[in-house]
Amino acid sequence: MSRDSLQILEEALQRADGFVELRYHAKATRSVGVEKGKVERTQSRRRSGVGVRVFSDGGWGFASTGSLEAKAVSGAIDAARAAARASAGSRTAEVSALPETRLARGSFDLDGVDEVVARPLEEKIGMASRFEETMRQSSAAVQSASCSYNEIYEEKAIVTTDGAAASFRLVRPELRLQAIAEKDGQLSSGHESIGTTGGWECLFRAGSGDHFAEKAARTAVDLLAAKHPEGGRATVILAPSIVGLLVHEAIGHTVEADFVQAGSVAAGKLGQRVASELVTLCDSGLSEFYDGAGGTIPVDDEGVLTQRTTIIRDGELVSYLHNRESAALYGVEPTGNARAWEYSDQPLIRMRNTYLVPGTSTLEEMIAGTDDGYLLDGPRNGQADATGEFMFGVQEARRIRGGRLGELVRGVTIAGIAFDVLSTVDAVSDSFRWDLGSGYCGKGQPAKVDAGGPYIRCQALLGGEQ
Amino acid sequence: MDETALLALCNNLLDRARSGGADHAEAAAAWQRSIDTNLENGKVHTVQTTEETVFGVRVLVGQSLGFATANGVEPDTLGEAVGEALEQARVMPADPFNGLPDPLPTSQVADLFDERVTTVDVTETTRIAAELVDSVRSRDARVRIDSGSVSAACAACALASTTGVALTEADTAMQGYLFGMAVDGDDVASFDYDGDAARNVGDFAPLVRQAARRFTEKCVSGLGAGKGRSFNGSIVLSPEAVGEFLLPNLIAAITADAVRKGRSALADKLGERIAVPTFTLIDDGTRAAGMASSAFDREGIPTSRHVLVENGMLRSFLFNHYEARAAAGDARSTGHAVGSAAALPGIGPSHLELEAGDTADTDMTAGDGPCVFVGRFSGSSNPVTGDFSGVAKNGFLVENGDRRPIKETLIAGNLFEMLDRISAVSAERRLLGGTQLLPSLRVDGISVTAG
Repeated sequence: MSRDSLQILEEALQRADGFVELRYHAKATRSVGVEKGKVERTQSRRRSGVGVRVFSDGGWGFASTGSLEAKAVSGAIDAARAAARASAGSRTAEVSALPETRLARGSFDLDGVDEVVARPLEEKIGMASRFEETMRQSSAAVQSASCSYNEIYEEKAIVTTDGAAASFRLVRPELRLQAIAEKDGQLSSGHESIGTTGGWECLFRAGSGDHFAEKAARTAVDLLAAKHPEGGRATVILAPSIVGLLVHEAIGHTVEADFVQAGSVAAGKLGQRVASELVTLCDSGLSEFYDGAGGTIPVDDEGVLTQRTTIIRDGELVSYLHNRESAALYGVEPTGNARAWEYSDQPLIRMRNTYLVPGTSTLEEMIAGTDDGYLLDGPRNGQADATGEFMFGVQEARRIRGGRLGELVRGVTIAGIAFDVLSTVDAVSDSFRWDLGSGYCGKGQPAKVDAGGPYIRCQALLGGEQ
Repeated sequence: MDETALLALCNNLLDRARSGGADHAEAAAAWQRSIDTNLENGKVHTVQTTEETVFGVRVLVGQSLGFATANGVEPDTLGEAVGEALEQARVMPADPFNGLPDPLPTSQVADLFDERVTTVDVTETTRIAAELVDSVRSRDARVRIDSGSVSAACAACALASTTGVALTEADTAMQGYLFGMAVDGDDVASFDYDGDAARNVGDFAPLVRQAARRFTEKCVSGLGAGKGRSFNGSIVLSPEAVGEFLLPNLIAAITADAVRKGRSALADKLGERIAVPTFTLIDDGTRAAGMASSAFDREGIPTSRHVLVENGMLRSFLFNHYEARAAAGDARSTGHAVGSAAALPGIGPSHLELEAGDTADTDMTAGDGPCVFVGRFSGSSNPVTGDFSGVAKNGFLVENGDRRPIKETLIAGNLFEMLDRISAVSAERRLLGGTQLLPSLRVDGISVTAG
């Protein structure tokens, strides 16, 4: 980082009146793509600049500049101030000033930056090529494979007129693998992806790249013979990856305070039972349990130190996720959830690492205690609604009959109303895994997030044949 | 930054690439200034102004490729980006299909630029945004606007290469959207959104007002949603569902890279029937005032009106320059290199049009047996296999002349089989966001599972 960035911003702030927030954000991404034995592409992207927010008379103004020059920053402050005036003229202010809160000061660099950024491009190309080859060599049925490596390196400095002065650097490497198998004209695919905030050890903590490559190939081949499930309500055991998607998409979004204000299904439910008492759900800026969760941030983009926020405790809804403004509106402390994707984006309330807290059962006990159901792992994608209604595609669905794992089925989707589904949770495993580290959340702008949890058993609707 | 300055920036990058050892290079640059009034929780929240110049440089050393992109115009930024692209090219394996196209004549697309948009200020976007909020509120107080935006943008781009391409284009855009849901006591309906866009101020005002009306109607129609029922039968995909679900998966299967890489179930279907005869799909990047229109693609190849599927027959794959070279035979780029200056050229369509059918909108859900109307599809689809499964959002069960909103209803099937089971195409089409002109489609033989 330009260590000067914090100093330049602080100097620019000295000339500012009222509440002003300056955020220098430099992002460098590098990606490598290998497919069918061929290095398809490498590319690098750098984007840097300063995002400026002004809060004046209850109105917010935002402007940005791609330059760190004092004159450019000063011009952006003026533009943001003019925008704030236009905003204030059309707005009934609910919060006239941002209350004092604990703001970050100092340097908060995360681990792994130098070892990831400094590794030569040739080695990254070699790594992606080897994993791609592993998939193709795994089975004669694998007709095509691809591996992409992506790394995001970020530098940030955040200063505000009410005391924040923080900077940090972090890196997030990711690996995506896809194998496509073919038999008698029928295609099937297997996917694996891993992502982390940190270095190589964090990225490969759950297994080597070859391990994930072999797994993707095996899934593609196994799915060739799989049949579609029967649609209907079913008992399902969700793996940490699906639990993560559930708590992020179907619960997390409904408790973002801006969405709550608009009337999400979580509005007015603080203090109410919304899930089984086995369910405790959190969102944290830190990497709980072990290092490397993909959505880790030490300080949010309003300069608030991040923390762990318990959203549901023993089945009871106890908190929403806040930025400084919504926290003031609700009379609580900000939770450190204000995040912006790049310098030209304004901070929005976003999740970080969202998870369900482990329980006391073992996975083996949960399977043995299931007479008729499915074990679901590997999310393909997911969406959820203001109502908490969700839909997730599932890569691997294994039948459970008489307490034993059976055959694989394909094309499975699960759906339900999140709070209803969490109310049916009757077992939570004692293990824990972050499993969405390669995930991006979309809310007008992307955000790097992670999610995970233990295995849980519950009831949900399964899409399939009629 | 005007088009001349952007072209000079591109030429500066080409000079740096050549002097750094590139055998060939291409530079793309884009400038944009935009004003945005953002809505949050039914109120004007933040007003935003942004201006940025980004560029991307593609270099060839022998037949090895490198690409780097950055924002800013400072000499150090340009030098670092070119250096990084060259470093990549020096370690990348040679690929005989890498190359840059020769220049071709292009024709300007009409009405992409409106001088009046350049004078729209924060007061104007804020006034329009406040009007949208009032319009929704006065129609139905149960509708909550979670977020929304009204924006005005002016943009210019330039493209230059060592093979002689030197092109520029400027355009303007006015855009607005609303996102939210209806809430009536404890009844929270599914979220919905609507919006529209236009190249000029005059067209935008009525379009965004209509979008606010549609948004309100869609939100309110989801109140009181109940349980559907399970059956195997017909669904009707709205134009939005066709545009967001069916077409992206079909397009993914007819891009030349998917064909080359063995990721397309339609790889050997060129010239064969893949859909019912009423299905004709055209891509037209030359549509006047189109939000996805442009005189040339990301590599400088002229855009055109291009038939992809004609009366159910697959007529063409989508090619960029690389894929045309990599394909066997005499394939040429179809002008479908897409992407911003900040990315390597990909492959994709510009403005898609599905030909209208002859079924009145009111008759689309008519017929024997139950039918589910799918306003939006929220689900998972696999473009390789065509399998899909997901929830019908803004969904209605139509049965015995009765139409009621439903929730927790899953639909499942196969996209490629679905193309052959289209039993009706609506006579009326909608222009979605100025980028797709689409009818609604009735499809038979779909598994519907109610919760």
